[in-house]
Amino acid sequence: MDIQNLLVISVGAILISNFVLSRFLGICPYIGVSRQMDSAVGMGLAVIFVMAIASAVTWVIYTYFLMPTHANILFILFGKEGQSPTDLTFLQTITFIFVIASLVQFVEMVIQKTSPGLHRSLGIYLPLITTNCAVLGVSFLNIDSGYNFMESLVNGMASGIGFTLALVLMAGLREKLETARVPKAMQGAPIAFVMAGLMALAFMGFSGLSLG
Amino acid sequence: MSVGKLFGKGIVSDNPVFRLLLGLCPVLATSTSVFNAIGMGVSVIFVLLCSNILVSSIRHFIPQKIRIPIYICIIATFVTIVDMVLAGFMPELHKSLGMFIKLIVVNCIILGRAEAFASRNNPFHAIIDALGMGIGFTLAMIAVATFREILGNGTWFGMPVLGTSFEPVLLMILSPGAFFTIGLITGFLNWLDHRKRIPHAVLNG
Amino acid sequence: MKEIVKFAVVLCLVMMIAAVALSYVHSLARPRILAQQQKDLMAGLIAVLPGSELGVITSHPSGYYTGYASKDSSDLIGHAFPVVSRGYSSDIRTLVGLDTAGVILSVKILFQQETPGLGTRIEETRRGESEPWFQNQFRGKSIEEIRLDKDGGPIQGITGATITSKAVTDGVRIGLRRFQESVNAAIQNISE
Repeated sequence: MDIQNLLVISVGAILISNFVLSRFLGICPYIGVSRQMDSAVGMGLAVIFVMAIASAVTWVIYTYFLMPTHANILFILFGKEGQSPTDLTFLQTITFIFVIASLVQFVEMVIQKTSPGLHRSLGIYLPLITTNCAVLGVSFLNIDSGYNFMESLVNGMASGIGFTLALVLMAGLREKLETARVPKAMQGAPIAFVMAGLMALAFMGFSGLSLG
Repeated sequence: MSVGKLFGKGIVSDNPVFRLLLGLCPVLATSTSVFNAIGMGVSVIFVLLCSNILVSSIRHFIPQKIRIPIYICIIATFVTIVDMVLAGFMPELHKSLGMFIKLIVVNCIILGRAEAFASRNNPFHAIIDALGMGIGFTLAMIAVATFREILGNGTWFGMPVLGTSFEPVLLMILSPGAFFTIGLITGFLNWLDHRKRIPHAVLNG
Repeated sequence: MKEIVKFAVVLCLVMMIAAVALSYVHSLARPRILAQQQKDLMAGLIAVLPGSELGVITSHPSGYYTGYASKDSSDLIGHAFPVVSRGYSSDIRTLVGLDTAGVILSVKILFQQETPGLGTRIEETRRGESEPWFQNQFRGKSIEEIRLDKDGGPIQGITGATITSKAVTDGVRIGLRRFQESVNAAIQNISE
């Protein structure tokens, strides 16, 4: 396995094209859950977890159920001799969102059974993740980028880490902001957006990193 | 509630983008030009309209406990239709909006309206609500895109407006510009609210 | 338990209706999408092999195209081949057209989904010009000249979109080298 390649993907997803600050995915939780450090960390961990699993599962489903190849499981089971495999990739969106929604439910159930402590800290964030576009976004990106299974898994995890990094930084800033004198009209979301802009500006510096 | 009031709610007092802070990802990502903004806005209006109508028409037949998966399924179907139609008929727009067309599925506005409005009201009101919210969303996108395209590219809807001596502020097209623009617009709207002493809506989220 | 079965049945039913509806729309839209792609490819080939709009373009199983200026395939214009390179946020597909001496006639971007306003400027046409300036820079360049200004070459990159500019430039150079090698191999095969 090409470790260097995986490292390049990770650094790219965490710093250079950070999910929140340069790809604009997962903005709603970024603004909504960044008021306190505790909840930011909890949300971040839940997102890393779900994004990694979702990347792996959606990749397998796309490659072995939707793509018109001879390795397509539906083709192997139901295809007839001499027939060419059917292209089901147009069902991508609907399958992926369903997979992610069920996955989130499943993860919640498993965590609830196995580790009540973890469930108490992550539980409330899990349902929110279904409509977090970062999870669906990373699944699409893996496919569009032509990543293989390992690359998708690493990209999913690294993108989650990038999201968490941006979220935790923002939470830290907003906690400090409590004591600052912000003009009344700019309090809350507006000043958070402006800070996000400054952070995006800082993260743009990473695009100078040359990789590979 | 009167029809006019219902329609106006989505555009002004409950504007999904500036007031409810919903569906921000496409607003930030595809507002680099007014053309893209309108393309995205119209796609969202279409999906919102179709899902609102369908959810509202079958609202009595949907089992309560599994309503969310059913809504998601309905929305995903319409999003895929939009995706295919754009790919076939407007390939340029399809290319520039890219992944964000498919991501309309997780746009909180659409699921939010299905759950909060369409599942409790008749199809006629659902249509008005969808149009109001959709147009509110589109107008917000156009507003953000106007700032970004004029300052960042010197054009509006592709037409040069600032003359040849204008050096585009590249920052506005880049991601920081998107955050700054939307932050300042929401701040400005808050300021207007405070001046009018209207008890202000949910704005701390 | 009975409830769960009922929910499963209802959900399956909804999914099936959705799948059938999508298949129907897909069957309507697919020919159009394919035709659109074919049209894009043909327009791209004509752009990189100027003169071939009156002649014919043939495709080879090894993945390159040959353009002739007349219908009876007598006047050879040159060859064209596609290049796929990894950009900033997408795969960029480029067509490269060569004349009979192997010098670049023209380069055209077929597909990219780079950052709007930045990476997408590889397809930008400046005010008052008729052709995209970035792609135009490749015209007449030999293989060693295809380098970005940041790498000491003559190709001017796009401000703020170095990764995209580099992806296209390096992709064209690597593709060209590969094409030359395969052509040389083919010529040797014939002469042996």
